[in-house]
Order: sequence, then structure tokens, then C-alpha cells
Amino acid sequence: MPWQKSWLDTRWRFVIPLLVLVLNVWGLLFEYPRVAELLRTVQLQPDALSETGALGRAILESVSAERTYRGYVWYQWFRNNLSQLGTLMAVLLGSGNLLSGSTGAGTLFTLSLPRSRDAWVAARAAVGLGELLILIAIPSLEIVLVSPLIGQSYALSDAAVQVVCAFGVCAAFFSLAVLLSTIFVDTWRPFLIAGGSAVIVSLVESQLALNGPFRVMSGATYFAGGVVPWVGLTISAAIAIGLLYSAAFNLSRQDF
Amino acid sequence: MLFRLNPSSGVPVYLQLMEQVKHAVDTGALRSGDQLPGIRSLAEELVINPNTVAKAYRELEHEGVIELRHGSGAFVTAGSGRRKQTDKIRAAQEIVIGAIEKLRARGVTDDEIRRLFEAELAGLTRTGGQRD
Amino acid sequence: MTDAWAVETVDLKKSYGDTEALRGLDLQVPRGSLCGLLGRNGAGKTTTLKVLLGMTRPTSGAARVLGLAADNRSDSVRIRQRTGFVSEDKDLYDAMTVDEIVRFAASLYPTWRKDVEDRYRRAFELPHHRRVQELSRGTRTKLALLLALSRGAELLVLDEPTSGLDPAATEEVLQALVSHVASDEVTVLLSSHHLPHIEQVADRVVIVDGGKAVVAGPLEDLRESYRRIQLVFADAAPQPTLRASGAIRSERRGRVLTVVCRSGLDQVLAELRPLNAVAVEVMPMSLKEIFFESVNGER
Repeated sequence: MPWQKSWLDTRWRFVIPLLVLVLNVWGLLFEYPRVAELLRTVQLQPDALSETGALGRAILESVSAERTYRGYVWYQWFRNNLSQLGTLMAVLLGSGNLLSGSTGAGTLFTLSLPRSRDAWVAARAAVGLGELLILIAIPSLEIVLVSPLIGQSYALSDAAVQVVCAFGVCAAFFSLAVLLSTIFVDTWRPFLIAGGSAVIVSLVESQLALNGPFRVMSGATYFAGGVVPWVGLTISAAIAIGLLYSAAFNLSRQDF
Repeated sequence: MLFRLNPSSGVPVYLQLMEQVKHAVDTGALRSGDQLPGIRSLAEELVINPNTVAKAYRELEHEGVIELRHGSGAFVTAGSGRRKQTDKIRAAQEIVIGAIEKLRARGVTDDEIRRLFEAELAGLTRTGGQRD
Repeated sequence: MTDAWAVETVDLKKSYGDTEALRGLDLQVPRGSLCGLLGRNGAGKTTTLKVLLGMTRPTSGAARVLGLAADNRSDSVRIRQRTGFVSEDKDLYDAMTVDEIVRFAASLYPTWRKDVEDRYRRAFELPHHRRVQELSRGTRTKLALLLALSRGAELLVLDEPTSGLDPAATEEVLQALVSHVASDEVTVLLSSHHLPHIEQVADRVVIVDGGKAVVAGPLEDLRESYRRIQLVFADAAPQPTLRASGAIRSERRGRVLTVVCRSGLDQVLAELRPLNAVAVEVMPMSLKEIFFESVNGER
């Protein structure tokens, strides 16, 4: 079945990052006690910091958030690590020719099989998004389960909302990589272009202090005031769906 | 069954097969009542198109060399089948056999013999040309 | 257009930018036949086969496979449910093992024939756990063929199935095809530039040149109607203009005139009779000779 092929093509890109993320969380959590102690000794000048631009703002945000455990988890994991790694994983899972096997050969074999070209796009989307969701959810769930081991607790509801926010936006980057994969035959160009675009968007967003996709991804409004960024997530979902449809349309018009 | 066919020789494959079956009957390699291989298995064995085998078998049946029993297969007819041919054909065959033997005795090759017959049948060599 | 044809194209055209790969190809392949598609490189054979499988869309013209439209998306899926294909490069998933790719293919065809799969696994001696990219060319071709044959397909479309194979492997492949045509009422359309192989197993032939079908029909008919006539003269041979439509070429060399006749032998001979040749030979032509008479270019 087509999903089997998508799974076989991407399984290592899924398993290894999953291990990396799980270990990353583990390390993060066990560092908390030392960080907490360090932060108690830090004094900040908020006004002076805000005036120094993006870096200053980041330091301010970081220190003020990390004074609590919930804030530490939010800042280090959801806002930083997961956002970066999650976007990277999304783009990686979405890249790569949809019709060929993992070595690049086999396109005509795929096209000779009794499935429509749409089916192959759907299989890549379903498997890739499934893998992406697991990559985001499992480490985040790990936080809830492991926190008691360091004498802390993290709410499952918090983790769930953050996972939805991260997944919602990462899915759009995944879909961008999929569309690019129907334009370029190799794996590298979709990855680099989609990844590059993500980097540019994130830089612009942080430099100009905009309320952009990465802010939605990190669930900042939820962390700060319990407000789920529904508008941002809806737009993201619409973009993801639009990009996937474009990918299917593009593929259906090609000659091989 | 050992038949050797040459698809590129210019002689239709089904004719080659027919000749070889008849030769096998003449030399006693195939006797009355012997069963020939099925169309499919012979096609597979010789790696030729099954229709070619089918055509050869049909023509052999028409000439009375074999009979095709519905459902059972192809069998060499009793009395090597030549009895079913008309006297005319049999006499003609004897003339052809004699002519070919004479020509071979003169050192004329089989290919040359074939071409001479074809040309003669095409009616060209008697068009008032100079001949030795 | 009728359903008696397993494959039918009418005035099929395909252009890639400025290049015209197909310029109005007419093709009919009856059900149950083993049809050879012949032509030089670049004549349009592979393009034709890809159009039939829905991999390439025609610029204009019609292509029907098993009664369905090849350029209609949903029809094309149905065509591929009933068709087995082997591409020119024997394109497969290199990273999978033999077992994995067979199981993958089997999962997609409800009509998969396990008995056929087992038969060819043994006959072709395919190693279970070797990766596709590690297989020799011949073994890879045999694997591709097994995948096509085991689908339980009504039609096999094969692009150069014997290219690069040693004589033993070639014979095995041809034997498998002959066996399937005989027993399973399968239609086979194979493209090749190995004329002897086609001559051996095909009952029908289509010669493609410059994106068009220049010769088509049952192989037996072709072999019965093409003739090479050689006339020897006492002095320099004449170079007559022959009006009979069956004469496609005449060539004079010294005292010998050669006329190639495609049909209507009697009319051609009637025109040659008054020339008073000293000796005449009428010879049949092999498929190779017929091929070279039909396509342009150097011999």
C-alpha cells in the first residue's frame, strides 16, 4: 500500500530525531535545578534590556519566564528547542521525491502501480504528518511524565495545547517541503529552500517583534494568558492544506 | 522431442516445424499413435509463438500426418498418414523427391534449389531470355 | 474503436517542446497476441508505452488500453490494475530487498498470483534478501518481469525486456512470455531492437520510425509478402521506373538489378518480365531485412 512506501522512505528520518528529542528533553529537565539556582542570583534591568533590540528582548523574556518551572519548560522546550527542531523535522519529513524510492530510483515503477498520483501525495501527507505529530507529542508528554522525578510537575493540559500549537504551524512547513518536492527531483533542494524560508521568517519575526507563525508555534499567548491562538492555527492549517493541494495538482500535470 | 528451428532463415517457422515432424515420422522417430507435445509446451520448449505451433499442427492435420483429438492432443496418424493424401499429391511428391535428389547429386545446394523453384513458379525464367 | 483490441492508438501525437516524439501513430494490438514494437532509438517506442500507462500525456490523438482511455485519470488507474509494466531501465526501488519489493507489489494487486510468483522465484533463482541495487542486470530484469507477470494482468507492456541479457537469461525471459501468452490469454506488447528475439516469439509486429508506424501486421503476413527479387542481365542492368505500388526500392549494381517488393509480387514481376533477365531469383526476407527497408537512415 502507498503508506507503506512513505513509511519505508521516511522511517529513519523519524526514529532518529525522535530519539534525539527524547534525550534532549531528558537533559533539559535534569538541568533545571542548577538553572533555577543560577537564576536566583541574576538581577535584570528590564528597561535597558528592551532598548537593545531583539537580543535584549530575548534575554529579558528568558530570564523572566524561567523563574518558574512552567516558564522554564515553556521557554527552553516549546519556545526554543521544539520550535527549531520541530520545524527542521517537518521540513525533513516533507522533503524527497514522492514517487521514487529512497535512493531516487523507481519513479516509473511507482507510476505503473494501480494508484492515482493523488494517492501518493496523500500517503506522504498522512504518514509525514503522523510522524510529525508523534515527534512533537512524545517528547512533550515525556515532560509531564518525567517532571515528578525532579520534584516538579507539568500539566498535561498545558502540554496538549502546546503540542497543538507546535504541530499546527510545523504542518505548514511540512506541506511547503512537500510542494517543493513535486518541483525538484532531489531531496536537498526542497529541504534547503523550505528550511531556508523558515529561517528567514523566524529572523524577520524576531527582529521586527511581529506576531508571526513562530509565536503561534510556541503558544506564547497561551503561556502568558491562557489564550489559545486559534486564528493563527486556522490560518496555518489552511496554508498547509492549500500547499498539499498544490502539490497534488502539480504532480498530476507532469510527464515522466 | 528435438526440433531445431531457425526463425531468421527466411523459411516460415511453421513450415520448418512441419518438415521436421514429417522427417521424424519418416525416420521412425515418431511412430503411428505417438503423441506429439501439446501446443503450449512445445511453444515453451522451442521458445516460439504458440500460434506458430498451432498453425503447423493444423497444416499437418490437413495433410493427414497427424490428427488432433479434441481434448487429448495431437497424435501421429496410423500408417504415417500419407495414405490420406490423394494419389496426385503422392505422385507429385515422388517427382519432387527425385528432382531434388538429382540436383543434390549435381552439387546444387538446398538454398539454390529452393530459389530455382520459387523463380520458376514466379514464371520468370522462360521470358525469352538467354539461358544455358 | 472496439474492445477487440487490447491496445489501440489513433493519430497519437506527443511533442516535448520543439521535439515531436510521436507524429500521428496508429497502432492496434489484438487481444492474446504477442506484438513486437520495433524501431531505432528515438523512434518513439518508449514514449508510446509511457502514454499507454498514463505516465505521459499525449499532445493529441487517442490511446485506448483494454477499452479504457489512457489519458483519463481514473481510467488510467483501472488500466494499471490490469496491466503489468517493465520500464526500459528496469526501474525499481533500489533500497528494498527482493522479498520486500515483491510483498509491496503484491499488496497492491487483488489479482496477484502467488503461484506465478513462486514459479518465477524458483525459475529465475531470485535471492530473497539481496537488495535490488545489488542485483546483476539480468537478475534485476528478471525481478522486474516477475513483478509484472505475477500481477495477474491481462496485458503486459515491456520496454526492452531482453536488453543487456546474456543468451541464457534471454531465453528464460522469452520462454516466460511465450508460456504466459499460451496459457493465460495474456496480451504482450514488447518493444525491442533485438530483431531475432522478436522474430522468434512475436505473432505481430509494428515498426515505428520518426514517430509513426510505418509497418504493421501479423509477422507471418509480412514474411509472406516481402520479397527480394534479384535479376541478372547479360549486359549492364537497366534501372526501370516501376509503377507497381508494391515495389518499394530498386537498386542497380553492374549487371544485377535488385528490387524489393512489399506486396503484390505478381504485378511487380509482370513489370520486370519484359526486361529479359538472364537469371532471376525470388527470395524471402528476414525481419531484419524488412526492418532496414522500412526505416530511414544508414544501414
